Amino acid sequence: MSDTSLASQSGTALYLAIQRKRNIGVRSLFLVVLAFLVAYGVLFPGLFTATGFAKFTQSWFPLALVAMAQAILMLTGGISLAIGALVSLGAVVAATTMTGPLGVTGGTLLVCVVGLGIGAATGLIVVKLRLPAIVVTLAGSFIIAGAALLVLPRPGGAIPDWLSNSLAGNTPAAFGVLVVIVLAWKLYLATPLGLSLYAAGEHPVGAYRSGVPVDAARIAAYAISGLLCTGAGLFVAAQTGSGDPIIGNSFTLNSIAAAVLGGIGFLGGQGTMRGALAGSLLLSLMISVMFFLGFTPVAQYVAQGLIIIGAVALPQFRMRAK
Amino acid sequence: MSISDAGILSRSRIRTIVTSRPFLTFAIVALVWIVASFVSRGFGAYGHLRYLVELAAVIGIVAAGQTFVVIAGGIDLSVAAIVTVAAVGLPLFAIDADPTGLTPILAVLAMTTVIGLVNGLGVALLRVHPMIMTLAMATFLQGLLIIIAGGSAVTASNPLVSWVGNARPFGVPAGILVWVVVSVVVLVVMHATPFGARLFAMGAGPLAAKLSGVPIATTTMAVYGISGFMAGLAGIIVLGMNGQGYVGIGDPYLLASIAAVVLGGTSILGGLGTYAGSIPGAILLVTITALITVVNASPGWRSILFGTLILVLLLLSGREAARR
Repeated sequence: MSDTSLASQSGTALYLAIQRKRNIGVRSLFLVVLAFLVAYGVLFPGLFTATGFAKFTQSWFPLALVAMAQAILMLTGGISLAIGALVSLGAVVAATTMTGPLGVTGGTLLVCVVGLGIGAATGLIVVKLRLPAIVVTLAGSFIIAGAALLVLPRPGGAIPDWLSNSLAGNTPAAFGVLVVIVLAWKLYLATPLGLSLYAAGEHPVGAYRSGVPVDAARIAAYAISGLLCTGAGLFVAAQTGSGDPIIGNSFTLNSIAAAVLGGIGFLGGQGTMRGALAGSLLLSLMISVMFFLGFTPVAQYVAQGLIIIGAVALPQFRMRAK
Repeated sequence: MSISDAGILSRSRIRTIVTSRPFLTFAIVALVWIVASFVSRGFGAYGHLRYLVELAAVIGIVAAGQTFVVIAGGIDLSVAAIVTVAAVGLPLFAIDADPTGLTPILAVLAMTTVIGLVNGLGVALLRVHPMIMTLAMATFLQGLLIIIAGGSAVTASNPLVSWVGNARPFGVPAGILVWVVVSVVVLVVMHATPFGARLFAMGAGPLAAKLSGVPIATTTMAVYGISGFMAGLAGIIVLGMNGQGYVGIGDPYLLASIAAVVLGGTSILGGLGTYAGSIPGAILLVTITALITVVNASPGWRSILFGTLILVLLLLSGREAARR
């Protein structure tokens, strides 16, 4: 009896110790995010009302999803340049099906199936045919963008009003969904495939020889990544109330920037999802704060470029100084 | 005996050439051209093929810089922005005192080379990952472009630029001539100089190269500088061919340059490859695009066809070796 409680206690202690250690890399990032949050709160006190909070989390939500989508792939040593195209595809599929015979439930299911299917197909090509991920997803982005154009050649379609209002209205429903997604991610990490994720990215050969299902873990990562992207597309469609076949374009670069800001490494196995989420929050805050400060678009671009380089370069300098 | 030796040698040599990636890519181009000229009237006409190669010249020149960067183990995602900066920025350097139009061209090339060097500086000294460094540079340049152009198109009134874009000395478009010169120089630098050897060493194993005395920082900067220079050169040719420069004119060249490099058999992971492959790679890309235009499909189907064809070609030429 006392044995098990002791074991569970030391288990908890071990868990906390490990989490503390994993936080070291992102601690300074959390501080920067906090500083930006305070700046945002001072500039725009409405943030602390329910509506302000809802609007803010809604502007962050799709970026958070694509940052997670990119981070999962980067953790396994992959990358995707098709994120933006998948977001667009998710948006047009949602906008063309939800008011049709399939209804909201059928449309949502279809969006999920499309994301999972395309993601899994990409994963199969990359993993089983041993083609470089960056080029496969580059070619894939053309195919997916073409499919989005076939579904909806020009902006149009519609999302039922009640769905738009409940997802992107004055309630922080999007934030709730994000919390659920993060919890699901925690659960996934506890499954065998989730456990294999880091091992497969950190040292594929070693993991394979230790019996880790490396290929399955990587393909599953691509499938989940696809699901997150089309999900982000659904939300974007709900936000705008219609579909647009090129609405997701900017998400490809922003997803990489957010993941890297969050400390995810390109070589696989390095970084944490909380880091990627913080990275996406920082990027989202940066854009909002610069907007409120009245930066011209030019200055925004310049500042964004400088901040990204600075955020990535600073830890390197500190590491060398040690 | 010496004769048979020579026979064996040349036979094995021929086999090496025939099974090499650049040769295979050339063979695919030839095959596509022959089949297409039977299927579609006018595709195989000299004028049409010359036009294809002229279009490929721009991709090929951007891909020259990209090949250097990729072989050295990096990637340059800022080439599209640099092409645009060159095309839009050139008229700014126009000087009345110089009727030949050479000064603005040199100024633009110097500027884009410096942009490339800054990329290299970030990668080599700040240790920022190439993808992030060049991506951030592209974002930065996008801001710069809005200052320069303000959203409107600029017209080139530079005689030398129009010459490069439109003249046909000896019946060959000047753009192709520039590409030929670039190709020869690039191939020599890549395969017959110490710098080229360092390049491959660095791409194959940065640590081993560093311990063997390769100056990593300067080589990295040089590689990105070359990429900036090439993108600038391509921007000038594009401006000459179009007659107008506008924001977004360089956008197609990012994906095209990477695809040309990979289709040519250069490993995206670095350390392996040659510009001799990127040359037919660029022509192949333009050919595919032209074929898809011939098919006369909707933009959606065209995009799908393009992506699928690149994937299929990748299967033929771009596979990475198993690492187990």
